[in-house]
Amino acid sequence: MSLLIKQLTGLTPLLLGQRPLLPGQKLLLLGKSPLRRLITATSLGVALVSCAPDSQTSATASVESPAVSAFSAQADAGADLFSAQCAVCHGANLEGTTLGPLLSGRPFMQRWGERTPSLLFANIKANMPPGGNESLEEADYLAITAHLLASNGVDSVAAALTATTDFTIADNASEVAAGRQRSAPPAPQGLTVTGNVDDFSPFVPVSDTMLEAPDAADWPMIRRTYDAHSYSPLDQITTDNVSNLSLEWVWNMHEGDSEPSPLVYKGIIYLINPGNVIQALDGRSGELIWEHWAGPANRQDMRNIAIYNDKIIQATTDARLVALDARTGQQLWETEVADSSKGFSNSSGPIVADGKVLLGLAGCARYIKEDCYISAHDANTGELLWRFNTIAKADEPGGDTWGELDDIFRAGGETWITGSYDPELKLTYWGTAQQKPWVPVSRHLTIHDEGLFTNSTVAVNTDDGSLDWHFQHVPAEALDLDEVFERVLIDRGDEKLVFSLGKYGILWKSDRVSGEFKGYKETVFQNAFTDIDAKTGHVTYREDIQNAKLNEWTSACPSSAGGKDWHSMSYHEPSGVLIAPLSQTCLENAAREVALVQGGGGLAASRKFFEMPGTDGMLGKIGAYNVDTMEEVWSHEQRASFHTGTLSTAGDLVFVGDLDRRFKALDVRTGEVVWQTRLGTSVQGHPVSFAIDGKQYIAVTSAVGGTSPRTVPDVIATEITYPRWGNALYVFSLPED
Amino acid sequence: MTNRTHPPFCPKDSSLKHFPLKSSFVKPSLFIRALACIGALVLSLSSLTASAQDMQYRARLSPMPTTPQTKSTITGAGEALATLSGTTLTLRGNFSGMSSAATMAHVHFGPPAQPGPVVAAFEIAAQTSGALNASIELNAEQLRALAANSLYVQIHSESNPAGELRGWLFPKK
Repeated sequence: MSLLIKQLTGLTPLLLGQRPLLPGQKLLLLGKSPLRRLITATSLGVALVSCAPDSQTSATASVESPAVSAFSAQADAGADLFSAQCAVCHGANLEGTTLGPLLSGRPFMQRWGERTPSLLFANIKANMPPGGNESLEEADYLAITAHLLASNGVDSVAAALTATTDFTIADNASEVAAGRQRSAPPAPQGLTVTGNVDDFSPFVPVSDTMLEAPDAADWPMIRRTYDAHSYSPLDQITTDNVSNLSLEWVWNMHEGDSEPSPLVYKGIIYLINPGNVIQALDGRSGELIWEHWAGPANRQDMRNIAIYNDKIIQATTDARLVALDARTGQQLWETEVADSSKGFSNSSGPIVADGKVLLGLAGCARYIKEDCYISAHDANTGELLWRFNTIAKADEPGGDTWGELDDIFRAGGETWITGSYDPELKLTYWGTAQQKPWVPVSRHLTIHDEGLFTNSTVAVNTDDGSLDWHFQHVPAEALDLDEVFERVLIDRGDEKLVFSLGKYGILWKSDRVSGEFKGYKETVFQNAFTDIDAKTGHVTYREDIQNAKLNEWTSACPSSAGGKDWHSMSYHEPSGVLIAPLSQTCLENAAREVALVQGGGGLAASRKFFEMPGTDGMLGKIGAYNVDTMEEVWSHEQRASFHTGTLSTAGDLVFVGDLDRRFKALDVRTGEVVWQTRLGTSVQGHPVSFAIDGKQYIAVTSAVGGTSPRTVPDVIATEITYPRWGNALYVFSLPED
Repeated sequence: MTNRTHPPFCPKDSSLKHFPLKSSFVKPSLFIRALACIGALVLSLSSLTASAQDMQYRARLSPMPTTPQTKSTITGAGEALATLSGTTLTLRGNFSGMSSAATMAHVHFGPPAQPGPVVAAFEIAAQTSGALNASIELNAEQLRALAANSLYVQIHSESNPAGELRGWLFPKK
């Protein structure tokens, strides 16, 4: 018997009466409802983050309640189910936590207002809870759906929801009900602090030449250089004196999910905060110069921004591109990258290469006409110059790798991590994410349907966006382990190489001129592949993974936290090693059913997580790999997972931070920890180094939030505790004599 | 260091009465129980000086696969130390912090991170913390599995009948 039925049989009229209709409530709103108009009329930027308590349950008991509708009873049952099954991640009042997004207020209505309960129900059933729960039946999912709708102002519905209920959600939400969720003041937009960088350090426009060979004192793009080495040529801080490293200043950032990589140019730090807020700070003193809110004012994450000429260029979490005056923070232009109402978003920002703003795209799991792409925009105007589509349509090259699937149902291929660039070859290198949903059987495909150009390295011509070559690392990906992360460009003798390291923990090496496979190294234990061809790099999945059926648990390593994830590796050219932040966990994965319905889609797997056998519970690993031999030179393992990229320096140091609040320096030659300190909360983001007036600084962020790399250690290393807030920028230097 | 397992053998939060003698139906006297514990300690010390042919293995016992929803109901930690002498695998170890009392313990066959069938069952005290103590005869196939890191120890509990703690046996470093 379903939980719902059990609960309904125990309900009394009094209990049901706890969710009364409010006075003045409209019964049925025809056509454009006030709420609908409100959604349409109000700028996306004035988003409301609802953390208010569920006011429905606190309605006064004196209100006369008419007969309780079946919908209301269903929603009540759903509230209990939500509390038991969903609240741990989404919050008791749908306010969201670091484990799951908020499900109320404007963000919810923006996503679901124009859609149907049927689609919402199917989405929840196919994707939630992430760990699966076989005791939840269809009636339970319908009840949870009703609870979400009731909590979001749907109060004019009488009949209980069924799997095919297809009214438009916004049409049935009253303004009164919606109004209850709009008590927070509108978030600011535009400049909130005014100032001029020139008052701190004379601003010099950033040229292409400067980006191709940055001044040693600067960190002018994500990973500092086009080749994504995350290496600083500064050598004042060394293995000999790093023990004296001391805090210069700390700056608290806005709260929300945060994985930032600061930019530093001529002593000014340009810092992306959660919620699409950018701040300019004086690197020497920590003084705020200007602050700009591009909106939407949510708690979402953006990893990086770009600087070019006199502009700071940012991607927003709702897939817009915005340019600010680097001196003052004044907005100069804005353009749409993709339609966020269709689910498109960005979590990583652009690089500017060949004078063009190059940007990826995320949120491409829905069954809609539009797919994911990399796009190039004019840096002066934002005008679209070209797009490279990562999903091959049926009549395009590679289109025959998606079985018989109609174009609408070809999903995935997100480019959610910023690519790199070779100015000589005029090629930009990007990783693409895997097909969606996560398991072949859920996407109505087989392990032989490779799905170009997902889970690949793509080398794209910056002149016109044409594909120069591609290498698909893991065709027909089957475990949510994507190969999307940074492409590190390394020259060894006459060889021009590109390296990447995906969630399978395999370090890949290819010729970046031809795309030819050159070698690989397994950096953590993996048991997903029974064979990796040493000549071609072709991978063969374990048989049970190849043939995984719906609702069948498959156990594999690494987990979706990734042998490696978004935290980028560093190339230390003086010693010829790549130093990678790695993670050692495993997963059990079970595919869920996804109907081929326009507007549907999703990820569709249940997952559980466990320690990687043979690692003694060491979730965190830093591995150093010789790029010629691909051998592991050293490794450093510890219980706490690492949550920053690695920064290597000419002082022979590697900086990295972990979940347990520790920020560490390792000797790049040996892996020995030579310095560490403890910050306010987990250390997350990307450490950078810069210099002002000849003095070297190291900066790193503490931060919370994130997806699998955070949720998996949270369920395995439960003894590691840290504040669930405390986003901040910490700046260190050597004390002056 | 965050490995909070207790020292093996007679763990501090497991009183002597929980010592998992095979004849657990008969309550042994305190003296015999103390002797048994001392015996286990002697065994453990002797394992340090085991003959050159003996192979030492170790498994870190950690929670079965969990989710945000189940991480507070699938809990605990432990350690299994195994000595292979000829075809006899002697298991010693401890576990603690399980969500409910242990019900049974098994050695399973399965490559690392791939669950598989039971090879042998052994008795375990009906407690949330306690000791492991077993002696298992391995056949040729099972010996090959051990050499290939393909045997694992799993402890089941009242609230997690499908298993609460498990760990693969690897050569002891």
